[in-house]
Amino acid sequence: MAEKYINARGLQCPGPVVELFKVAKVSEKGDLITIEVTDMAFKKDIAVWCRKTNNELVSLCEGEGTLKAVIRKG
Amino acid sequence: MADNKLIVIGAVAAGTKAASKAKRDNPNLEVKVFTKERYISYAGCGLPYYIGGIIRDKQELLVRSPEDFKREQGIDIFTEHEVKKIDASGKKVIVEDLKSGDIREYSYDKLIIATGASPIVPPLENINLANIFTLRSVSDAFAVRELLDSGAAKKAVIVGGGFIGLETAENLRNRGMDVTIVELVPHILPPFDEEMALYAQNHMIDRGVRILTGEKVTGFEGSDGKVTAVKTSAGDIEADMVILSIGVRPNTGIAVEAGIETGAAGAIKVNKYMETNIKDIYAAGDCAENTNLITGKPAWYPMGSTANKTGRIAGHNAALEKQEEALKESLEGVLGTTIVRLFEVNAAKTGLSEKDALKEGYEAETVLVPANDTAHYFPGYRMINTKLVVEKSTHKVLGAQIVGEGIVDKPIDTIAAAITMGARAEDLAKLDLAYAPPFSMAVGSTILSANVMLNKLNKRMESVKAPVLPDMLEKGGINVLDVREEEEFFISSIPGSKNIPMGELEVRLGEIDKNKETIILVCRIGNRAYMSYLKLKNLGFTNLKVLEGGICAYPYKLE
Repeated sequence: MAEKYINARGLQCPGPVVELFKVAKVSEKGDLITIEVTDMAFKKDIAVWCRKTNNELVSLCEGEGTLKAVIRKG
Repeated sequence: MADNKLIVIGAVAAGTKAASKAKRDNPNLEVKVFTKERYISYAGCGLPYYIGGIIRDKQELLVRSPEDFKREQGIDIFTEHEVKKIDASGKKVIVEDLKSGDIREYSYDKLIIATGASPIVPPLENINLANIFTLRSVSDAFAVRELLDSGAAKKAVIVGGGFIGLETAENLRNRGMDVTIVELVPHILPPFDEEMALYAQNHMIDRGVRILTGEKVTGFEGSDGKVTAVKTSAGDIEADMVILSIGVRPNTGIAVEAGIETGAAGAIKVNKYMETNIKDIYAAGDCAENTNLITGKPAWYPMGSTANKTGRIAGHNAALEKQEEALKESLEGVLGTTIVRLFEVNAAKTGLSEKDALKEGYEAETVLVPANDTAHYFPGYRMINTKLVVEKSTHKVLGAQIVGEGIVDKPIDTIAAAITMGARAEDLAKLDLAYAPPFSMAVGSTILSANVMLNKLNKRMESVKAPVLPDMLEKGGINVLDVREEEEFFISSIPGSKNIPMGELEVRLGEIDKNKETIILVCRIGNRAYMSYLKLKNLGFTNLKVLEGGICAYPYKLE
């Protein structure tokens, strides 16, 4: 199981989602992907993305203008 | 001394404001204030937050006490004293002390009526059951809070999806209650246009509030004298508490009996000096009518912000020793500016909505423009959707609505100020607004929406408004072309739409069905759709339209 980090700070939507797709595509089941985003609109996108792709949203926290999401590849 | 007795009826916002202003302007006045309520000068708009516990203790709601008024200003406030009658010819009021039952007369030289408004309680079956509340006075809020704190209520039904109802829904939900709102009209936030209101409505549903719109409450059921269910046109809903927030009516009984004329919505008719038709009698606050600044017509906006202004004006004018026009204060009109927070979504409105403008006979143009509230490279920015309404012929701004997770109060206040000064869309676009990354964007949302409006007024773009698209989709014959990236399209898209990212348009032109009547271009907020519009127009397409506000402001079915 690998742990991956995506720095999507400063990227406006669709930037963070596009980055997440790229990394998820090359990840294995069970891998943990952490992504940091400063566009608050990502909050809705990530929930829907996880649901539609059967990936698990392990955590989503918000602070100092940053969203930090941890996803387990399903 | 002649003319030195002022009586004020009512002691919440307008009444206490009027009394204070009068006494400040003319310290020789003898000011008496009568209120039938036990509490005075309270923050009526704060009641939902007291229920939710954000405002923790009772005393935080009470702005000032009668003792404060006596000690600091020499104003006598008589609580639990109801004015039963105004004798306008004898210039006196007849007052009952509600505790002792004693009745006394008090004479006045000037009278200010600030009797406020009362919640509408319709004569429905079993409306008198326990745990059916209105939420207008502090006493109401204390009763609701007590029930909640006792743990005896788990399921709440809120009748009416206006501001008080919605704020109460949020606060009850935050306390873990099961909450259902029943609203008669097709969406919550009735003064807003449909697509703006639905944005907020969807968010409340996401946050676990059940919302029934276009449904009617027909009565209540109970056992042991307590409410157990609400009967509606959509069936029975279990409830162990009910909040009636259908609306309010002005309290004008004693005024009407005294021969005082009423106007808009049955509120007391006043001129811009808050003078009624009877000399030396003024009215202010929620019991008095207002003038709509845009239409110039009488209107009624029972709001705390307006009550404080009209109270101040009535107080000033009543205290004048010389009743000269030049010395009087006046209010030309108001815009009905309002704002509400619903969980993470804020919604604000000023001036006319699109439906108001149509009703008033304006030929109006509108735009719906999503934007970030602060700079896109500064962490933590959020979206807001601005809907601007202007008069087509003059470009004069008639109104605006702003809904979204971001900051909405600043732009709505900016637009309210601009409308008050008679601004046109061109003026809005040129405003010199404060900009630095933590606060705003270099081209702020207000300026951006004015620019989009000018593009539309100058026919640079043809567009489709969100509320008409669901019907167009059903009828068919249109081609919805989504020009966002594949990944965005995957997350959510309009049912039946086709995805060709903007960057691939030229090479994939063959995939676009030219035989369909209209091609509707869709992106996230509207800018890529507009650029694609220009691109395709250049390639000879004529049947193009941009979906205003994009997916971001589209509150209808997505997949």
